[in-house]
Amino acid sequence: MQPFDYFSPKTLPEAVEILSRHNGDARVVAGGTDLLLKMKGGRLAPKAIVNIKRLAELRGISETSNSKLQTPNYHLPITTIGALTTLEELRRSPIIRERYPSLCDAANTMASVQIRNLATVGGNMCNAAPSADLAPIFIALDASAVIAGPGGERRVPLEEFFVGPGKTVLESGELLASLEAPPPVGPSLYLKHSPRAHMDIAVVGVGLAAQLSGGVCESARIVLGAVAPVPLRVRRAEAELIGGPFSAERIDRAAKIAAEEAQPIDDVRGAVWYRRKMVEVLVRRGLTAIGGIEN
Amino acid sequence: MIGQRIPKLDAPDKATGRTVYGHDVRLPGMLHGRIKYSKHAHARVVRVDVSRALKLPGVKTIVTADDNPPTMFGYGKDNTPLKGQVVRSLRDEVAAVAAVDADTAEEALSLIEVEYEPLTAVFTPEEALKEGAPLIHAEHGSNYFTRYRYSHGTLEAGERESDVTVEADFELPYVAHAAMETSVVVAAFDHRGHLTLYSTTQIPFLLQRDLSEALGMEGSEIRIIQTAIGGAFGRGLDIYPFEPIAALLARKAGKPVRISFSRYEEFLAAPVRQPAKVHVRAGATREGMITFRDAYALLDIGAYVSWGSVTPLVMMETTASLYRIPHSRFAADCVYTNNPITGAVRGYGNPQSTFFVETMMDRLAVALDMDPVDFRVRNANRPNEETPQGLIITSCGLKECLEAVAARADTARQKDEGKTMKDRPHPSSFIPHPSKKRGIGFAATLNVGGGARIYRSDGCGATVKVDDFGHVSLVTGSTEIGQGSETVLAQIVAEVLGVNVEDVNVLNSDTDVKPWDVGVHASRTTFIAGNAAHIAALDARRQLFETAAEMLKTTPDDLIAKDGHVVAKVSGKSAELGKVARARHYREGGQVILGEGWYDPPTKLVDKDTYKGNISATYGFGAQMAEVEVDTDTGKVRVLRLVCANDVGRAINPMAVEGQIEGGAQMGLGYALTEEVIVEKGRVMNPDFLDYRLFTTADMPEIETVIIETDDPQGPFGAKGVGEMGGTPTAAAIANAIHDAVGVWMTTVPMTPERVLKALMEKENL
Repeated sequence: MQPFDYFSPKTLPEAVEILSRHNGDARVVAGGTDLLLKMKGGRLAPKAIVNIKRLAELRGISETSNSKLQTPNYHLPITTIGALTTLEELRRSPIIRERYPSLCDAANTMASVQIRNLATVGGNMCNAAPSADLAPIFIALDASAVIAGPGGERRVPLEEFFVGPGKTVLESGELLASLEAPPPVGPSLYLKHSPRAHMDIAVVGVGLAAQLSGGVCESARIVLGAVAPVPLRVRRAEAELIGGPFSAERIDRAAKIAAEEAQPIDDVRGAVWYRRKMVEVLVRRGLTAIGGIEN
Repeated sequence: MIGQRIPKLDAPDKATGRTVYGHDVRLPGMLHGRIKYSKHAHARVVRVDVSRALKLPGVKTIVTADDNPPTMFGYGKDNTPLKGQVVRSLRDEVAAVAAVDADTAEEALSLIEVEYEPLTAVFTPEEALKEGAPLIHAEHGSNYFTRYRYSHGTLEAGERESDVTVEADFELPYVAHAAMETSVVVAAFDHRGHLTLYSTTQIPFLLQRDLSEALGMEGSEIRIIQTAIGGAFGRGLDIYPFEPIAALLARKAGKPVRISFSRYEEFLAAPVRQPAKVHVRAGATREGMITFRDAYALLDIGAYVSWGSVTPLVMMETTASLYRIPHSRFAADCVYTNNPITGAVRGYGNPQSTFFVETMMDRLAVALDMDPVDFRVRNANRPNEETPQGLIITSCGLKECLEAVAARADTARQKDEGKTMKDRPHPSSFIPHPSKKRGIGFAATLNVGGGARIYRSDGCGATVKVDDFGHVSLVTGSTEIGQGSETVLAQIVAEVLGVNVEDVNVLNSDTDVKPWDVGVHASRTTFIAGNAAHIAALDARRQLFETAAEMLKTTPDDLIAKDGHVVAKVSGKSAELGKVARARHYREGGQVILGEGWYDPPTKLVDKDTYKGNISATYGFGAQMAEVEVDTDTGKVRVLRLVCANDVGRAINPMAVEGQIEGGAQMGLGYALTEEVIVEKGRVMNPDFLDYRLFTTADMPEIETVIIETDDPQGPFGAKGVGEMGGTPTAAAIANAIHDAVGVWMTTVPMTPERVLKALMEKENL
């Protein structure tokens, strides 16, 4: 490992200042479960490391009243998930369990207890692996990224946060402060396919959320992980469902379209044909289950 | 003491971090060595320039091929510590640095300039055998390293007698040992120029000889000290270049040098399980009797010869002697390529051959419309018979093993009916769907259980000392690699001397101290080292009884050893062991209690032309039943239950036997479903535990072990080996269960979801 400068700021403005000063040569560390592996493996050699674990404002899961948003269930609060929330905290949070059980499911598929106690929600986003388990489900839940930077705070819909493998919209000096999830509009689900039961990354991950009313699909969000350079919303598949009955035939068509929309590559984790096939299977299974939940 | 469930004696120290592993060894002034590997799978080395690297502060010395002795080493005498003219694989060592710390050494590697002239490389045995293919070792004259040709009976007669025949092609993968401890060695020279090597080898005495060739030294100048071994599984059965490289660095630097592999390096440079492409045919009569079995295996042994090239001996044994086979033929060709080196891995060639032999057994059973267990029992090997291959089978519980797992399979089926699905970690598993199908499958195994004579000696020595305090020391030539041999050997000695197992200290780590042993392989330690320890303990007891008889005024045959005392049966008088030892010691012409034992089993090297002969003093048998659930949408196979029955002769320590079987099964499950070193153009594509998938605790099914005892006539207290059998039949049992569930025959492992789904889709399209 190459030598580097180490900073441990106590406030968010201080962290932003250090990051700005390094002009892209500094890396943020929280859990370190991705960053340290890359540094030890020689794939990354940042000039400086900024430990953000002392920033209290990036911690915790909280609810704030929601008067501005014109969403369904507007009477329910918005949930803010601090970037430093560990995967284990997310998994165990009573708020998350109650409102977004699919996020608990996603966290539950990730890594081991030891890693989940270190790894953070913010890290899972900023590492921007195409296979990140939390990204598809957060996008399906219509979450936004709250970004702190030299110019203050800005919000970006999470589906626009990812630019490519390992790349996000974060500019020099910026860091992810939290994720905001609006009140759920209906049932949601995260499905993951991997060869092992645990300690494995997704060959395909699927985040699903739908709003169903009297057997009719009012809205649907289908987001795929590990089959494109970034978590991928498949809008043609969504369109196939929206405005019609949530029937087995339409679900089947949507699943097939989702498989077409996927842009997988061949690698040691799966062949293109297999990944497409798994998109179809998981989307079909997930939507069927969602339909079942609604009924 | 025999038959007791005694926890491993070395476990508390391991669990509490007191054990000294190779990675813990720190010698005064020790330097850290790192190896520079080739950039090309096949190239001429034009120039190696180390001048910039030598200038880096903290770098103490660098070695290149110029530092090699003139001798070649290895089983094929085709290897040198560093490569100077030609590199033949991406793991070829071109230079090595010793520096004050590992980071400095690593940085120095990047400053070594190597100029290559790429040569055409070959990455499959078929390519390597083509007319005009580049020669991997020009001096060898051909890319064939060896050919094996075995037969008994006449194949034509076998075919004539057959009412059904089956035929299939199999492809078996590279697999890593994946030991928790990566490869490590510390080399240090003394003032005489003698080498002490701290090593995790499984063959300390053979390594002395191998190193003497690799370093151009005398074997008598080399001492091997084995540290605690954090998993080996066959990796330590050969010399590999990092060991002599550490010694070359240490000699040149005048300081001790340690080389310890990173996990990435372990995947890149450690040997792998022998892959194979196999064509198999087999036949049987309408009555369910096997008529013949015929197999041809094409083996890619990589760029240099290691033990992978000898796995055909084991594949041959399974092909020709698992069940009664009237006519059999086995042929194998071992071919050099520019791929990774294949070595020994637990089970040697047996997981490979048991996979093809036992799935072919199910194909025959299906063709005959016969129960697969019944078919196997009809053809099972029996006690006290010699196979046509010349294996002399004495104790044999194959039939009992098959019946034991079959009995548990039936209950399993009943038990699972109407049972709700277990909690699953995957949310997708909570979704019920009709696409999941269940099936059960069986497979059996035959493995050497009383040594395997592949050298002129298959022996092991032992001494047993009883000191003035009645404390017992067993010095054994054998090696503890986590399999529990220290505990089992201590139990044998404790039983003979009538002491507690905790009162026996086992010493087994220094070639200057311990008597010779061929090494820890072939499930041989309980049988061979156990017999040696038994003989030594009896010798020590004879000495104790001789003196005790005088003390207790009786004859030796009136004496027994019990509870730390020698007791006279008639009078009931007794003397404590230490007192007897002191009485023998502190007198005119006194002696100490020191028993000696040497055991070399009554076996033969196989005939070099026919490959026939009794290679082992006894054979172990086993059977497994796997119950699986196949997701027909995703191809994912979940093993719900695995029942393992093994004929172990006698379980000296049932807990240790279960541990060996369960550990073997874990490796067998990985071989069956998830583990594969993916190699493309000579390069390992998944060199980490993210993409090299071991079976974890979360994936493990319920494992039930059944111990079958047949009381082997030559084993210590009737015991025979079990170290490898736990994993050999697992993949076949699972493949057979998959067929039972969904009707496809898998011919490749690991049976990944993708491969299973592909097979299902091909079946649909037929």
